[in-house]
Amino acid sequence: MSAILEIFAAIPYDQVLIQTVNGIVTGMILALVASGLTLIFGIMDVVNFAHGELFMLGAYIGVVVLATTGSFWLALLIATLIVALLGAALQIVTLRPLLGRDPLTTILATFGVSLVLQNYALWQFGPVARKIQEPITGSFQLLYLEYPWYRLLIAALSAAIIGALWLFLKFGTWGIWIRAATQDRVMAQAMGIPVPWVHTGVFAIGAGMAAASGVLFGPLVGVTHAMGLDWVLKAFIVVVVGGMGNLGGSIAAAVFISLLEAYASIWVSPAQAVIVSFVVLILTLLIRPTGLFVPTPK
Amino acid sequence: MSAPQPSAEALVSVSNIHTHYGKSHILHGVTLHVGAGEVVGLLGRNGVGKSTTLKTIMGLAQPSQGEVKFAGRAVTGLPAHKLARLGMGYVPEDRRIFRFLTVMENLRTGLDRRGVTAQRKQELLDKVFAYFPVLAERRHQPGGTLSGGEQQMLAIARAMMLEPRIILLDEPTEGLMPRMVSQIAQIIGALHRDGVAILLVEQNVPLTLQASERIYIMEKGMVRHHCAASDINVNDEAIRQYLGV
Repeated sequence: MSAILEIFAAIPYDQVLIQTVNGIVTGMILALVASGLTLIFGIMDVVNFAHGELFMLGAYIGVVVLATTGSFWLALLIATLIVALLGAALQIVTLRPLLGRDPLTTILATFGVSLVLQNYALWQFGPVARKIQEPITGSFQLLYLEYPWYRLLIAALSAAIIGALWLFLKFGTWGIWIRAATQDRVMAQAMGIPVPWVHTGVFAIGAGMAAASGVLFGPLVGVTHAMGLDWVLKAFIVVVVGGMGNLGGSIAAAVFISLLEAYASIWVSPAQAVIVSFVVLILTLLIRPTGLFVPTPK
Repeated sequence: MSAPQPSAEALVSVSNIHTHYGKSHILHGVTLHVGAGEVVGLLGRNGVGKSTTLKTIMGLAQPSQGEVKFAGRAVTGLPAHKLARLGMGYVPEDRRIFRFLTVMENLRTGLDRRGVTAQRKQELLDKVFAYFPVLAERRHQPGGTLSGGEQQMLAIARAMMLEPRIILLDEPTEGLMPRMVSQIAQIIGALHRDGVAILLVEQNVPLTLQASERIYIMEKGMVRHHCAASDINVNDEAIRQYLGV
């Protein structure tokens, strides 16, 4: 009994509180990246290896627009729209012709696209990291830390974008089409739903969400051609842990894994804390391969 | 073999289609037609290509040879979603309800089309809810939670949302209780009175003969027999030969 009390007494509650806030902030941005990925997988069975590069490209377009117009919000909007259009074009050119082929071909195709985009960015913008100035610079006192308001804003905006996506999927005609095509592509077609265009639309939405998260996250890390790699790896873990193609599951998994990593980094270095997400991934694959946050399959 | 020739005003006419699934050759030159507002039965044992015929008409399987015409227009090779918008409804064998969509959302997959006014949408909904009151009660329930009979009703109601000129109906009474079977027969009659043509694939021979004006009997991927439904009865030689009852 006294041993348990000692353990509780040893927990640094102030750090736990701070790490909870950190975990939720990272979790929300990760959820934004992962929900595009899981949406695309759910409807098309396409594992989009170029997702991280769409995230990176969004951040770079944000840098350019911010430099020309000086408005962060305009940068966010324009980056989202341009990358969404680019996503639509990519889907039509590279993925639509591969529909119905071996999934490996789409993996190779999106992997190829990711290499092209990454090297394009390196050639165009060079290896030096660019900076996106955050739109609000204030901070508030969180215990002994000066905590930037911008971080909370990211979490709130991510939640708002995901919420808007949810409402769109739940009530919009296109939302019903997307859900119908996710469940039964052939029957959706027989009901007059233009499934090839629904696929294009979903890819565009996913790409736009990746770009939006790139711009939002840019101020925290700096923009480089390789910034997508870390995020897409983590987003893949989240998508698997949350249950492939399951939007709610991905969001829950994003917050769950980010919180675990944040708590772990109280005791170990942040680089070591990354191990936690791989441990969760491996345990999920061993114990519940359909995903942690999905109802038990019948 | 009193085979009436395809009339000029046939709504759907299929001539000499060959369809393959991978290496297996399923349809070996199927020819048939359905007139506007006509109910036509398509009989045959399991695996003779009845469902494949419907899928080929609907654009869900592509024929390697032959032609499908809809309302006088060649539609071979057109994708299913375009055919659906032209007025072809499809009710597949296994119903294929969108399980995680509510009854209402299942209906909206066909209802939310360009050019349908809010008033017309309401009329269509009122109509199917009058035919199938149970669907009105369950409108907010996920399709996957309905019973087999209710799912069949939903599959038919969903196809009706397209205001189709023809419904391709694949084994609608399979696995249903007798009470449900007679309800499906009534619905076929009601659709017929509304002027909707039906191509009915069934194992239930008495129901097909009663509901249809003409029947085709298929064997080994071809049409072997064709006659008016009134010219044949359950004990005829043709029925025994091709259906083995």
